[in-house]
Amino acid sequence: MKVKNLFNIDFAIFVSMLGLMILGIMFIYSSGITSTGLRISNEFIYQIVWIISGLIIFFIVMFSDYLLFRQWSLYIYLGAIFVLILTLLFGREVNGSKSWLGLFGFGIQPSEFTKIATILFLSDYYVKKKKSIKRLSTFLLAMLIGFLPLLLVIAQPDMGTALVFIPIFLIISFMAGAKKRYILFLFVSGLLMIIMGVLPAWQKFILKEDFRFVEVLINNDLFIILGGSIGIIAFLSIIGFVYSKRSYFYWIFYSSFLMITGLFGSLAVRAFLKEYQLMRLIVFLDPSVDPRGTGWNIIQSLIAVGSGGLSGKGFLQGTQSHYRFLPEQSTDFIFSILSEELGFIGSVLVIFLFAIILVRGLMLIMKSKDDYGIFVGSGIVMMIFFHVIINIGMAIGIMPITGIPLLFISYGGSSLWTALISVGILQNIYLRRYRY
Amino acid sequence: MTRNSNIKIKLYLFISFIILILLVYIFYLYDLQVRKNIEYQTRARDVSLRINTIPAQRGKIFDRKGTNPLVVNIDSFAVTIIPAELEMNNIDSLVIKLSEILDMKPNDIKNKIPINFKNQFLPIEIKSGVPLSIINIIAENIEDFKGVTWISKPIRSYLNKGSISHVLGYVGDITSEEFQILYNSGYDINSVVGKSGIEKYYDQILRGSNGIHYKTVDVQGRKIQNVQLEDKLPENGKDIVLTIDTKIQTLAEEALGERIGSVVILKPSTGEVLALVSYPWFNPNNFYNDQSNSTFRDVALDNRHPFLNRTIQSSYEPASTFKVVMSTANLEEKLFPINKSINCEGSVWFGNREFHCHVPEGHGKLILHEALEQSCNVYFYTLGLKYLGVDIISDYARRFGLGAYTGIDLPGEIHGLVPTPEWKERVYNTKWVGGDTVNMSIGQGFLNATPIQMANLVAMIVNEGVIYKPHLLKEIRDSVTGELIKKNTPEILHTSSIHNSTFKTMQKYMRGVIIDGTAKVVITTKAVNIAGKTGTGEVGLKDSWNAWFISYGPYDALPEDQVVVITMVEAVNDWEWWAIRAANIIYQGIFADETYDDAIDSLRWGWLRNKRKPE
Repeated sequence: MKVKNLFNIDFAIFVSMLGLMILGIMFIYSSGITSTGLRISNEFIYQIVWIISGLIIFFIVMFSDYLLFRQWSLYIYLGAIFVLILTLLFGREVNGSKSWLGLFGFGIQPSEFTKIATILFLSDYYVKKKKSIKRLSTFLLAMLIGFLPLLLVIAQPDMGTALVFIPIFLIISFMAGAKKRYILFLFVSGLLMIIMGVLPAWQKFILKEDFRFVEVLINNDLFIILGGSIGIIAFLSIIGFVYSKRSYFYWIFYSSFLMITGLFGSLAVRAFLKEYQLMRLIVFLDPSVDPRGTGWNIIQSLIAVGSGGLSGKGFLQGTQSHYRFLPEQSTDFIFSILSEELGFIGSVLVIFLFAIILVRGLMLIMKSKDDYGIFVGSGIVMMIFFHVIINIGMAIGIMPITGIPLLFISYGGSSLWTALISVGILQNIYLRRYRY
Repeated sequence: MTRNSNIKIKLYLFISFIILILLVYIFYLYDLQVRKNIEYQTRARDVSLRINTIPAQRGKIFDRKGTNPLVVNIDSFAVTIIPAELEMNNIDSLVIKLSEILDMKPNDIKNKIPINFKNQFLPIEIKSGVPLSIINIIAENIEDFKGVTWISKPIRSYLNKGSISHVLGYVGDITSEEFQILYNSGYDINSVVGKSGIEKYYDQILRGSNGIHYKTVDVQGRKIQNVQLEDKLPENGKDIVLTIDTKIQTLAEEALGERIGSVVILKPSTGEVLALVSYPWFNPNNFYNDQSNSTFRDVALDNRHPFLNRTIQSSYEPASTFKVVMSTANLEEKLFPINKSINCEGSVWFGNREFHCHVPEGHGKLILHEALEQSCNVYFYTLGLKYLGVDIISDYARRFGLGAYTGIDLPGEIHGLVPTPEWKERVYNTKWVGGDTVNMSIGQGFLNATPIQMANLVAMIVNEGVIYKPHLLKEIRDSVTGELIKKNTPEILHTSSIHNSTFKTMQKYMRGVIIDGTAKVVITTKAVNIAGKTGTGEVGLKDSWNAWFISYGPYDALPEDQVVVITMVEAVNDWEWWAIRAANIIYQGIFADETYDDAIDSLRWGWLRNKRKPE
């Protein structure tokens, strides 16, 4: 089908997107200005270049047939995985993680684009498995698709970006109609894994006093006793279920298996992440335990946001930012400089613009006649949403420091293009709503 | 149809979830930005408001001429790095460039840069004591040294190396113990304080008071704008002019050479100390460079104790020099006729103990002035035990200022000891016996005195009954205008009721020691007539003696023109009569206005030229 008219696209989303990008340019510019009014960074010019080139890609994506993406989704996905492996092997190390791949003098972050590839392919997979959607095997294979890039990104290691794959996988599975108990299992055991994984570090650095339960996690003997006894419960309940077919045996098994997964998963978390990495993750709970190190960013960002007040200190007038107390102003902490200079009104504006993209995005795909569009659309919305929550949460001290960008606003080509491609796909789905 | 509505429900659930979370965020932001705004505004201002101290210049120290500086401040800087400002790709080349310019090992610099440096905005000190010339090089090429900054850290420069270190002392960062003591005297935790010598004693005068400058800074501490708060200007420390005569100090230092011991030279008529030498000494300039810690430790652990100012912090048995006190006591109390002789046969028995004289075959018959000249032990044993008694001896020792602080303006003085029977009973719980009196009569036993006390003792004889408090401070002057703020006036420390005639006799007797007595062969200077007394103290080891020579000159002049010279060489040195020899060179140097080298030429002691060390 041919798109006749540009005016068929959803303008609310388009305008919101442009608004966010303009705010982005403004505050990338602001972040590059010193207190003496000297411009020390040209990042905002690069960002304009990224935006213009990104918009071209956006229109190309929007006006091509998204079913074409579906047809090619396997290859796009495999290609993305391949590039991730290349990145691991030959990537450039920036800030301690190998997430950049040099390309014609430009650096790109393949992990950003992999999110879209995964959304496209996972949705395709679920559509094809519509008949066997309730099966465990279907779910496990989907997990493989979703978690393979996650593991490759974690290996870089880039915790923040890797985490994005989890909500993407969960929402698409949920939309596709996978058994809720599987989704719940994954969600709860993952949560347990992370909580029990960081608990020893929490006790050591933040609580700084005895916490009995932590003993169970650290002490090998106690750990084996706990794991063993839950294992025995699981084993007995499965025998009970086989013989009696009573459903409560099933749920006992379900919960104890969940606990075991969480318990051993936490062991893996602690084996994989060093203590200081765990510390970085949880220091937002009390930044004062490390005020000169990891806590610095959080404290300075909180001061920036908090001192912004209702209407802010005015464009280019922020003290936290221009005296350079605020770190990573153009990328991770761009929300802090924005809300310092524009105040609460600016913060709400940003959230409002994102809300339009997210909520209208979901309303638009609701009109879509095919499941593929809905799966892809909700995956994309979840991705953008997760970025917003984590990034803003980080700036206001309620989310761990994971270093993921605020899409459309933060400086950086890869994340910007990813965001534009994503919304392009959303618009694309909307444009082809009358397909059937 | 059911399937479609099922998905719609899910989408609406998703939408509600998004809206709910975003509302929570908006509410949280409202709380943070609007409700707690004032609190965070205060914090934002506190973060960037700096109260900077404007350091006061520490006062300079001059010798008695007032134009000859001994201690000045030199501009010095500490080179620092702000890790967050470093260019990631250029760290290695920066480290190499810095290592060349600062003359450091690249690894030493690298180790100071934290691994997680990206967010480190606090400056890290790479090297202190960097001169302005090197800072200029960095400043001119600042583009090559991104992330490198410096702070001014003036250091104390001690211009004269050598024995003057014991007088001047040195400065250092305040310790927490010192801070607790000095808390109410306007010190803060970053203060630099005098650690010993004049630097410590007159710290309050030298240090001045720091000013305060208010400013708003960025994260690197760079100034942003002036705050509407009036700066408090610093008040510079005042200059100090010492009584030390650099020429005499150097002369005395060279005359003593590398022998463990000390020299005190003072003007008896005022108490002004002209030279104060204690060997070994230290070089305080070495405490302000890279190896300062190890240098300081080496000096502190040196078993020759270079930090010990032996003129005021070591006490020794005065040995035969004490016979001056004995003679004075007898002249005044007239308990044994001065023309009546005592026969010295080389030793004498008191009770069941035999006491020896230093001449084994004995001096024969001697009267008081002969006994003093020959330093006959047997005479003074007898005089002390049979005629004076311990009470009178102790009393006279005290009248000469022994056993009490001299009050010299240096920290850490000790007061020596004048024993009494009560003291011995209290400390040792044994009775004072005749043997104790016999030992005390020749300045041995429990009796202990510092070289500065011995200088006072001579001053008493020269001044005929008055001791002026020995002091090093001559004047206090304004450091900028040079205007005289305070002139130190002589202060009487002790006055004695002993008759002037007694002192006049003693002066004659001490002159006799030089003309006919124990010092005759060594005191060869023709430049001046001197009077004095030798002393040789056993310190338990065979063939090793503490050597004293207490003296003054010119013998026949007014006290205003006289100087007192005390030389003391410890027993650890080989015996070479050095106390007297050093005094001989010193007198030659002072009164013929010669340097050490000229003086030994004049004395025809050229063979000493390369004999700085004892053999």
